[in-house]
Amino acid sequence: MASRPSALLAALAALLLAAPAGANRAEHKPVAARPVMDYVPPPAGSYTLQVIQQAPDGQVVGRDGLQHRLSDYTRGRITLLSLIYTYCSEPTGCALAYEAGVEVKQRIVADKRLHGRAQFVSLSFDPINDTHDAMRAYGSAHAASGGPLPWQFLTTRSMRALQPILEGFGQDIEVERDAQGRATRTITHMLKLFLIDRRGRVREIYTTEFLHPEAMLNDIRTLVMEEDAQR
Amino acid sequence: MKQFPHARQSAIAAALALAFAGAASADETCNSPYTTRLIKGQEGYVHVWTLGAEGVGDGSDKLVTIDAHPKSKSYGKVVHTLSVGGRGEAHHMGFTDDRKHLWAGGLDNSKIHVFDVGTNPAKPKLVRTIADLPAKTGFVGPHTFYALPGRMMVQALSNNKDHGGATGIAVYNNKGAFVAKYDMPTGDLGGVKGDGYGYDLAINPRKNVLLTSSFTGWNNYMMDMGKMVNDGEAMKRFGTTMAAWDLKAMKPKQIFSVPGSPLEIRWSLNPKDNWAVTATALTSKIWLIKPDGKGGWQAKDVATIGDPSKIPLPVDISIAANGKGLWVNTFMDGMTRYFDLSNPEAPKEIYTKKTGKQVNMVSQSWDGKRVYITSSLLANWDKKGEDNEQFLALYHWNGKELTEQWRVDFNKEKLGRAHHMKFSAKGGKQT
Repeated sequence: MASRPSALLAALAALLLAAPAGANRAEHKPVAARPVMDYVPPPAGSYTLQVIQQAPDGQVVGRDGLQHRLSDYTRGRITLLSLIYTYCSEPTGCALAYEAGVEVKQRIVADKRLHGRAQFVSLSFDPINDTHDAMRAYGSAHAASGGPLPWQFLTTRSMRALQPILEGFGQDIEVERDAQGRATRTITHMLKLFLIDRRGRVREIYTTEFLHPEAMLNDIRTLVMEEDAQR
Repeated sequence: MKQFPHARQSAIAAALALAFAGAASADETCNSPYTTRLIKGQEGYVHVWTLGAEGVGDGSDKLVTIDAHPKSKSYGKVVHTLSVGGRGEAHHMGFTDDRKHLWAGGLDNSKIHVFDVGTNPAKPKLVRTIADLPAKTGFVGPHTFYALPGRMMVQALSNNKDHGGATGIAVYNNKGAFVAKYDMPTGDLGGVKGDGYGYDLAINPRKNVLLTSSFTGWNNYMMDMGKMVNDGEAMKRFGTTMAAWDLKAMKPKQIFSVPGSPLEIRWSLNPKDNWAVTATALTSKIWLIKPDGKGGWQAKDVATIGDPSKIPLPVDISIAANGKGLWVNTFMDGMTRYFDLSNPEAPKEIYTKKTGKQVNMVSQSWDGKRVYITSSLLANWDKKGEDNEQFLALYHWNGKELTEQWRVDFNKEKLGRAHHMKFSAKGGKQT
C-alpha cells in the first residue's frame, strides 16, 4: 500500500483541475433503486456487532468554517458517518446514502429513547469544491448541531488533511477520466457508511446492498443497549 | 511423491468415490457480489494461485499472472510470477471489497498472503502475510475468502488440536487485523446434528442469510491419497451437512443433511432468484437450497452429475450471471460439463467435453463467453506421472461448443500446480 497516499493525492489534484470551485451543486436526486430487504432483522440486542477497527482521526472543517478534530464528532455518541461529495450524480451512490440517512434519522426522532444517543456525520472527500459553505447548503434540510439527532456536514481544508482519514477508513476513491485522459467531475467510490460506537470503534460498515434502514436502526439500538449494560 | 501404478490409481479413484473432495471456487460470478468493480467485459489478466512442486522451478507457492486480453501481444502468456517462499498448500483466493487486494491461503501452513493487485494488476505485489489464524482462532487451513464491507470472512477447514474437521469462520478487517471467530455448528438444529465441518460460504444480503458447506480436516486433505483411501476411519471423516446462518447475528439457524461432502456454494445472481446450488463430491449430485415457504430454507437433491458409478468426482462449479447455466468440472475423468439451470428444480446436463487428464477449477467470464480451467486439486491428491497435467486453459463458449484458445503448461513453464483463478482488468480499470 506504499503507493496509495501519493496516488490518492494525484487523483484528487486532477479533480481540482477538472471541477472549479463554485460549480453547480447537484440536488438530492431520488435514488434509482433501493436495495431489497426481504427479511426480518434479528431483534436489537440479540446479537453483538463486531469491533472492526478504530475509526481514524484527523482535522476537519465544521459548519463554522473552523478546524476541529474529526473525533470531536465521532465520540461520545453512536455515530453514523458517510463519505460523500455534494455534486455526486450517481443515483446508487451518495444520494442513496443521503436517503438512507434521512430514513434512519426519522426513525430515531420518532423514538425518544434514542434521543441524544446518536449523531450523524457526512464528510466530503472533495476538500476544494466542497467548502464548508457548500456542505452547509448540501445539508441545509437536516444539518443540526444539537437536538435529538445532531447531523454534521463536514469537509477538510486540504487533500493532505483528507488523505489519512480516507486511508484510515479504507475508503477507496478514483477520479474518472474521459477518452482523452482528462479528469472528469465524477469520483468513483464504493459507497460506505460507518457505524461507530461512542468509543470511536467501527462496529458496522454498510455498502449499497446492506443499506437497510430497519436493520441499521436495530444496530444503533444494539449499541445503545450495549452501552447501557456497561454502565 | 510416491508413484502409483495404473491399477492402483484406479483403485484409489474407486475409493475416492466413497470419500473425498477438495475442490475450489473461482470466477467472476463467484466473487462475493459485495466486491466492487465486477468485470462485466473483457478481463485483462488471470491470476493463478499455484502450488509449489518439488523439483519444479523454485518449488515455491506462487501467484502466476497471465495476460488474458486478446489484443495484447502477450495474450495467453505468463507475464509475472511472484513466489512467496516454501510450500504451504496454496489453495483459494478472494478479493477485498474494493478489489484492490487479493487474499490467498495455504491449507497446510495456514498463512494468508495479501497481494496488491489494484495498483498494477500486471505485477502484483505481496504486501502482507497474516500468520495468526491458528493462534487467534484455533482454526487451521484457511479456505474460502469472502468479502464483506471493510472485512474478510475466512472459512477454515480444520483445527490445531486434532487436525480433524471441526473448524469455523474467522473474520479479519481489510488491514489484516483479527476481528472475530465463529465455530461451525455441532448441535441439533431442526432435527439435524451439525458435524462442525466447513468448506465454502456464500451470503445473500437481501435475505440476511449465510450458507456454509462441509469437507474434511487437515488429517485427510494433507494425507497421501493412496494411504487415505485405505484408512477406513479416515474415509468416514467427511462433511455431510450444510448450514443456514443469520448473517447479521452470525448464528446458525438451520442445518441440512447433504450427504457426500457439499463443496462450492453459488447463489444465483439473478435479482429475481432466491436460491443457491452446491455439488456433492462423493455422491455426484447437485443440491438446490431454496426457501421452504415457512420462513426458513431447505436443501433438495435435484440432479445427478455424470454417472456416479464411474466416479466422476465433481469439484468446482461456476454459475452463469443470469442463473440459467452451471459449469461443473469432474476431476477424475477430466470432464467439463454444462447444466441447463433454467429450472433449478431439475438441472439438465446438456454438454460434456474432456478438457484435461485431471481438472479442478472452472471460471467463467461475466458474459459467459470465456471459460478458464485449471488442473490441481491438492498436492497429495493430484494424479501421478503422465496424468499429472498442470495447466491453465482458455476455452470460448458459443452456447453449443467449447473451443480451446490457448493452454499454458505449468509443468513445462516450471511453475507448479495450477489451482485457483481470479481476474483483473487491464490497467486496473473495469471494462
